[in-house]
Amino acid sequence: MRVNPVLALAPRLQRAGGRDSRTTTVLAVTAFAVSTALTLSVVAALLGFVDRAAHPVTDLEREAGGFYVTLAVTATILLVVPLLTLGGAAARLGVARRDARLAALRLLGATPREVVGLTLVETALQGLAGAVAGTALYGVLLAVWTQIPFQGRPFTVGELWVGVPVVLLTWLAVPLLAAVSGAVSLRRVVVSPLGVAQRVTRPGLKAVRVVVAVVAFGAFMVVSVAGQALAAAFVGIMLAGLAVAFLTMNAVGPWALGVLGRVRLRLARTPEQLLAARRLLDDPRAVWRVVGGLGLASFVAGCLAVVPLLAGGPGGTREDAIVSADLLTGSLLTLAITFLLAAVSAGIAQAAAVLDRRRELSLARLAGVPTDLFDRVRRREVLVPVLVVSVGSALAALVMFFPLFGLAAVTAPQGLLLLVGSLTVGVGLVVAATEATRPLLHRVLADTVVRAD
Amino acid sequence: MNNRSVPVRPPLPTASSGPTPSSGPTASSGGAPRLAARGLVHRFGATTALAGVDVDLAEGESLAVMGPSGSGKSTLLHVLAGILVPTSGVVALRGQEVQGLGEKERSLLRRSRYGFVFQLGQLLSELSARENVALPAMLTGTSRAAAEGAADRWLAALGLTGAEGRRPGELSGGQAQRVAVARALVTRPEVVFADEPTGSLDQSTGHDVMKLLVDSTRAVGASLVVVTHDADVAAWCDRRIDMRDGLVVAPGSTTGTGAGPRPGERAAAASVGQDLGHGLGDLPVSGGDR
Repeated sequence: MRVNPVLALAPRLQRAGGRDSRTTTVLAVTAFAVSTALTLSVVAALLGFVDRAAHPVTDLEREAGGFYVTLAVTATILLVVPLLTLGGAAARLGVARRDARLAALRLLGATPREVVGLTLVETALQGLAGAVAGTALYGVLLAVWTQIPFQGRPFTVGELWVGVPVVLLTWLAVPLLAAVSGAVSLRRVVVSPLGVAQRVTRPGLKAVRVVVAVVAFGAFMVVSVAGQALAAAFVGIMLAGLAVAFLTMNAVGPWALGVLGRVRLRLARTPEQLLAARRLLDDPRAVWRVVGGLGLASFVAGCLAVVPLLAGGPGGTREDAIVSADLLTGSLLTLAITFLLAAVSAGIAQAAAVLDRRRELSLARLAGVPTDLFDRVRRREVLVPVLVVSVGSALAALVMFFPLFGLAAVTAPQGLLLLVGSLTVGVGLVVAATEATRPLLHRVLADTVVRAD
Repeated sequence: MNNRSVPVRPPLPTASSGPTPSSGPTASSGGAPRLAARGLVHRFGATTALAGVDVDLAEGESLAVMGPSGSGKSTLLHVLAGILVPTSGVVALRGQEVQGLGEKERSLLRRSRYGFVFQLGQLLSELSARENVALPAMLTGTSRAAAEGAADRWLAALGLTGAEGRRPGELSGGQAQRVAVARALVTRPEVVFADEPTGSLDQSTGHDVMKLLVDSTRAVGASLVVVTHDADVAAWCDRRIDMRDGLVVAPGSTTGTGAGPRPGERAAAASVGQDLGHGLGDLPVSGGDR
């Protein structure tokens, strides 16, 4: 079989990329692996609850099986976007470096189809490697998941094993989604090979995103009140509304960050304030990719702050106590996974940003820009958006649930503790993940770009 | 490249040592040199990039360093500028040795007393042209408002009125290099280092950029070191040295007779420089390491 000569270049280009190329490959595969392992874990839990509802062993499983499945579906909905965010971050990782390389190929005469093909091959291979590694990680995590009791007894490995068909489907879906995401982010190369090198100003984000979000949130709040009359459809409507509201967070986040960037630019007095504000304003979507996961996680925390209320007070039956405990356990697990995903997404996205800027950062250091300035900028560009996004997202969730629960979610000590505690841990995790990119930044800055000339 | 023993060098001139004798292989015209190097050796692993180089750069002088690829000319620029520490040898700015300074002190030296123009990709892509020029001044302690005001004046003087708010990706190659020239000069440095400043430009644009670089540098009283492999670019400078295998093989030939600026152009640039000098009077020449 005759292999297209440009596609045959893929492994060579990968090797020729040197240390940065290896770094981006390792980071991308790690991100795909983490998202695959957690996706399989979430699917496993959902299938486990469905199986228990279908084949109940205890009275609780017989009576509350459907309720548990609804909760598992809710958790899955809450986790879908963070999982997709991490997958997208992995696919975009180092795409600017590939952009430059592939733009050069375009200028040398490679066809758009060949350029896209090369990207598909490279990203899909990373996706496949991540999916296989993620399946192994899921196997390891089963040992953890089977220690946690639900409905009065822990799941067995058999209950949480998703089965070979699901694993094979994952190995097919992850590379496919990775390739599609990579191809979409390389669209500009195909349209104009010079567009990449020029790095022109991106079009601004329209305020219409906010209108869409307000409508979606409003609709959820109205439906959550009116929908109580439609008891049968209530749960379905609520879950659909939650999913829509959750997706609109992704639409509003970058816009809100853009507004924040404009304000900070106007107020900037020092070089680090100026650079941090400009980076935020330059590409709010890129910063959202760093902090968005945390925003979504905080939104989840805001949603789950009502759980202690739902869990009920003392004096119930043994089944009531188990359901209450399970609600809390499930909420904390969902939160832990979303914050973990957010932290990994943040670290991956910032590593990609450092590698994308490597030449200008290195030349700036040569011209005498102090190394610690870039560290201060890196912290500043993440910390303020992290705080604004996490608190803003949690507030949005509280407002959305106001018609159902009023202010009880934050006036009840347990709810407030859950919310504040999880936000604190989440912000800490994201900051720690971005600090992990410090050695990479310093390595890039240490490169003097000097030829032995 | 050769690994040679370093020959006996003439003594390093200091600010108080008076005119440099013309015995040095690259000695310039009279007066204590602003920047001087003696016996520079630099090795990258087993490769010897500099095999014993002496260079003097006079006050306000422009010097072209020429040579084929691998001759060591860029390494020489990086060593003179304090980016690289030489394996052996001495570099002195106004008689003060700088090769022994730590990384932080050399970084401070580069941003406060030197200016840099690289071939391409040196402007921070997220900043506007104005902000790119203002940044070095802000790093030396100038307020943002004053630094941006100075940046606007520099950009106007270099023919970039109207482009202040544009980002590097929205500038042509020639415009981006002019912004880089403004950025290098906004702190009124003592020495400007330019590494292939016209390497990514067409001949006509390169001619314009060199004219602005040489004239603006002279207007602020800075000395200039230009690394190039292009004889037309070297012709803009007062003096030229040729390098091969890490050694200076043709020291100190006087240039400026080829494509260099015509007297009328120099006068116009000097006038602009006076305006700029006046306008930039409040900017510090150096600042603290904040």
